[in-house]
This record gives sequence, structure tokens and C-alpha cells, in this order.
Amino acid sequence: MSNQLLRVSGLSAGTEDKPILHDVSLAVGAGETHVLMGPNGAGKSTLGHVIMGDPAYQVSSGTIEFDGKDVTEDAADKRSLAGIFLSYQAPVEVPGVPLYSYLRTITQKRPELKMTARKFRARVGEIADQLDMGSSFLTRELNVGFSGGEKKKIEMLQLLLLRPKLAILDETDSGLDVDALSVVSRGIETYRADCDGALLVITHNTRILERLKVDRTHVMVQGHLVAEGPASLIDSIDEHGFEQFEKASAVAGGERA
Amino acid sequence: MAESTLDARQDARPTAGHVTLERVNTPPAQTWNYLRANDITLTVPVHSRKGDVFFALPRLFEGVECGMGPTVTAWAESQAKDAHYVEVKAGEKRKEPIAAQEDTGVMVRAGAEATIVICTQPDGPVQDTTAALVRVIAERGARVHLLEFVCGGSDQRLDSVGIVADEDARIDVRQFFLGAGTTAAGLAVALDGNRARLDLTCRYLGREQDILDINHVVRQRGRNTHCDVRESGVLDGHAKKSLRATIDLVHGSSGSEGAELENVLILSDDVTNKTMPVILCDEDDVAGNHGASIGSVGPEQIQYLRDRGLSMQEAEGLYVRALFDEALICAPTPQTRAAVLARATDVLGSEVANDLVDGLGLRDAEEV
Repeated sequence: MSNQLLRVSGLSAGTEDKPILHDVSLAVGAGETHVLMGPNGAGKSTLGHVIMGDPAYQVSSGTIEFDGKDVTEDAADKRSLAGIFLSYQAPVEVPGVPLYSYLRTITQKRPELKMTARKFRARVGEIADQLDMGSSFLTRELNVGFSGGEKKKIEMLQLLLLRPKLAILDETDSGLDVDALSVVSRGIETYRADCDGALLVITHNTRILERLKVDRTHVMVQGHLVAEGPASLIDSIDEHGFEQFEKASAVAGGERA
Repeated sequence: MAESTLDARQDARPTAGHVTLERVNTPPAQTWNYLRANDITLTVPVHSRKGDVFFALPRLFEGVECGMGPTVTAWAESQAKDAHYVEVKAGEKRKEPIAAQEDTGVMVRAGAEATIVICTQPDGPVQDTTAALVRVIAERGARVHLLEFVCGGSDQRLDSVGIVADEDARIDVRQFFLGAGTTAAGLAVALDGNRARLDLTCRYLGREQDILDINHVVRQRGRNTHCDVRESGVLDGHAKKSLRATIDLVHGSSGSEGAELENVLILSDDVTNKTMPVILCDEDDVAGNHGASIGSVGPEQIQYLRDRGLSMQEAEGLYVRALFDEALICAPTPQTRAAVLARATDVLGSEVANDLVDGLGLRDAEEV
């Protein structure tokens, strides 16, 4: 794999009292699309949050390199400014902060994205149109009172606005109706086309992958990456589920013990 | 529209000294004294009035209860350079905002609509004390929009406002207390007429050594009146804030509803925050609600903001920026926008302040 953007090596991490990830190694090249699948509770979202630098999780061993630099010890804001973006499965409500103020502030933090307010307004309007969003949402408080679909659209809006090098989409498709899923899929497609950014898509639902050219598929079971393969692995999972991997993991777990 | 200035005393008034206004800005029902939440005592300058001949507002305004109480009313009347009387004729929709002065009375006749603006002037040398005494009478079906911006300019600011609303009158009040130093503000609204309505939004910022003392009193006397009071703010540094909010559902106000809610965000361990929400009720068929939430920015929210590139300090600063954003959106005149911008520059720095103006497209329309 050439031009590696993200390299996770031998990563073990968890909360204070519970190890969740075990010796995880993963590499994503620039502009590639990877899919991370696995049964509920496998640790997929945890991996996304650990890569982003969530202090709720402690790294006990291993490293995370991004764009040629070791970011294992970096705070989340530094990782974000370096080009990592994590789209939340359940975006957080932030009362007291209008969306416009928020978007403007996070954009102005990035020297490469600094622009006049007029251009910024035009850019936000353009993205909002792509995502079928009205303009009134800009004065509303960030994610407060938004429906699940609207929150995911706000995540996509930020993705397209910030143009990160790597986007980790943590079950972005969960809880979306058909129309909202179509809009979000369009947003992801636009991100790939316009920004040529890399994607790590955490999902159970293969519909969100229909419009994407997947380069690699990873399967996680009980905090271990147990399989890796081409896009065709998704079809196999669709057909047979995760049982084959869970059994293999149980056997491997017995051997480790 | 009839507008007149009743008094034009000269400003060359020597300061004769100071006087202490004991225990002002009190709510209708007080709590235990040891909590020290009932009132504020202020020392204010007094100017010599020897030889002055002055006029007061029409006597009708004497009956208007003001939020900071009669002691402050008497002091402000005695010190005002001018009593400023404005009348908006019946049915008139006045577009030009009325700029309130030290002592202002506004009569909004039946079916008329008017916007009243109270704004401090942060430009120029910082004064010891400034004050505004504003009394408004809204007749049947009148609409009044009151906008209040306290943006610095003096070490101590006193705003005392009283509004009386007749049948079907609608009152919207938006307050922005953003200034440095001590701000003492009282607002009393009497919903005397049936179906009169008040919507009050109050936003405040306290930082460093700021003192904020706010008293809101709503008297619901008419039947089927409605009031919605929303206060929210950010406190940082060693700021001290007391908020007293009283909804008084008076006997005879059947069918009325009153709600009050405060959200305060505390960014420092050294903040002193006191909130005293009170509902007085002397009527059966009414609904009164109040609540308060006090907290710091939650760890989930902080993490979300950090995941998008903001440091802890920048994440907290976003809440302050949001206050100024809202104040600028609501500021109706170039003068009020300039005042908010000047204060935003002090608090957020010139780069962010200018960005606020650009972001709202204000610079396209005017040079602020």
C-alpha cells in the first residue's frame, strides 16, 4: 500500500476498568475507502474515537500515525486540525451555540480554509443546497431539537466544509430513513469526489456503500481485527453474517488464553 | 407621532458627592437575608440641582412600577438632564427606533407599534455611573419592542424599566448585559389588560470582576395574560451574578400563564451565581412554571467541539461569541451595533469581532 495516511500499529486501548481494543493494526492509504464491520459491541466505534483522541479511552500500547506523524499523544483538536474527522453516531447537542457561529469558528481555525465571511456564507449555502437543507437551520442551536436525520446532515455539512484528509464515519447511516440515507450517501460521494479524502466507514448497513468504491474491508470481533479483505468480503458478510468470524475469534481467544 | 423634550437642563452640573441607594432592585417577595440575594446597595453620584427648573414626565407615568424600585426612580429623576417624552399615535407603525435617554417616557397609543432602544455608549472616557430610567405605557392592542444593550462605558450601570400593557398589548423585550463593571438592571412589566402578553429574553455575560444584579418582575393582572421569560448567560472569572425573577399571578388573572426559565453556564470555579425564581399566585385558574439549570459545559459537548479542532479555551469561548452574535443580530441601529462591536472587541479581540460583523453581512450595508 503506497502513501499511507493512517497507520494504526499494535493498538490496545480501553476505559479505565475495561480493555476494549486488543493489538489492532490497520493502515489506510490517502484517498482510499475502507470499511470496518463487525457485530454489536465489537469495539468499532471505540476504534474511531481512539483514533480521534477521545480522552475517555486510554491507549495502553501501540501507536497511531497520521500523515507521517505519530499522533498517539496528541489531543483531539490537534488531530482534527491535522485532518482527521470523526462523524458521530449520535451527534451531541450543544445549547447556547448557534450553528452559524460554530461553523464559522471551526472553519476559521484552519488556515487553509480561511475565507471572507461573504464567501463563507456562500459556501455554506452551497453545501446546504447539496444536502437539501434550508437556510433557517443556521440560526438554530447546534444539533438542539434537530431530528436524527438533520443531525447527520449537519455532520455531512461539516465534513464537506472542513475537507479533512481522513473521515471516520461512525454508523452515519444508523436511524436514517430512505430519503435521509440518500442525501447522506450523496454527501459522502461528494466528499470523495471533491476532496479526494480517505474514508473509514463503520457500518452495519451495506446500502450506504452502494455508491462507494471500497478498497478494503476489515472485520472486528471482541476488540480484535479478525479479517481483512477486498470489497467482496462485504458481500460474504451480507450473505453469511458475522458468525464465521465470531467462531474463529473464539478459537483464537482460546489459543491466546 | 408627537415627540418632545420636556427638559433641557445644562450638563455643566457639578458633582455634589455621592449617595448610597440602600437595598434596591428588590423582588416583590424576599427570601432569607443571609443568602444576600434580595437586593443590591449602590453608591451613586449626585449632582447639584441648585437653581434648576425642571419638568417631569406627565403624571400618568408616576404610576408605572419600575424594576429597580422607587428609590432608584427618585434618584434617576433627580439627576436626569432631560425628561424625554415620546408619544406614538394610535395605529402608527413607527419604523425609527426610539433611543431612550436618562429619563424617558413612551406612550404607545392603541394599535400602534414602536421599538425602544436602551444602549450604553462605550466610546470615550469611562464614566463613574450611567443610568437609564424608562417607562412605557402600551395601550390596547399596541406592540412594543424594547431592546436593551449594556456594553460598558461606565464603571456602574443602572437600568430601571417599567412597562404597563393594556388589553391585547404585546411586549417583546430583549436584554443584553454585556458590559464590564457593575450592572444593576430592573424590569417590571404589568400585564394589566386582558390577553396582554410579554416575551422577555435576557442574555448576560459576566467575567473578570463583573457584578450583575438583575431583577425581573411580571405582574399578571388581566385575564388570559401570558408571559414567557427566558434568561441565559455565561459567567467566567470572578464574576458575581444575582438574578431575581418573579411572576406574580394576581387575583383576577384567571386563565393566565407565566413561565420563567434560566440557563447559566459557569466557566470558572470562582464565579458566584445566585438565582431566585419566584412565582406568586393568588388565583386558581392559572399556570405558572419556572426552572433553572446551572452547569458547566458538559464533557461530551467539549469533546465534540475539540473533535472539530477547538481547544478547551476556544470551545468555551464559542459560547461567548454566540452571545455577541445574537446581540449583533438584534441590534437595530448603527449606534447599537457599534456599541456591541466595541464590547466584542474588548472581550473577543478585534479579529473575531470584525468577523462577527462580516459574518452577519453588516459591513455590506454600513461601515461599523
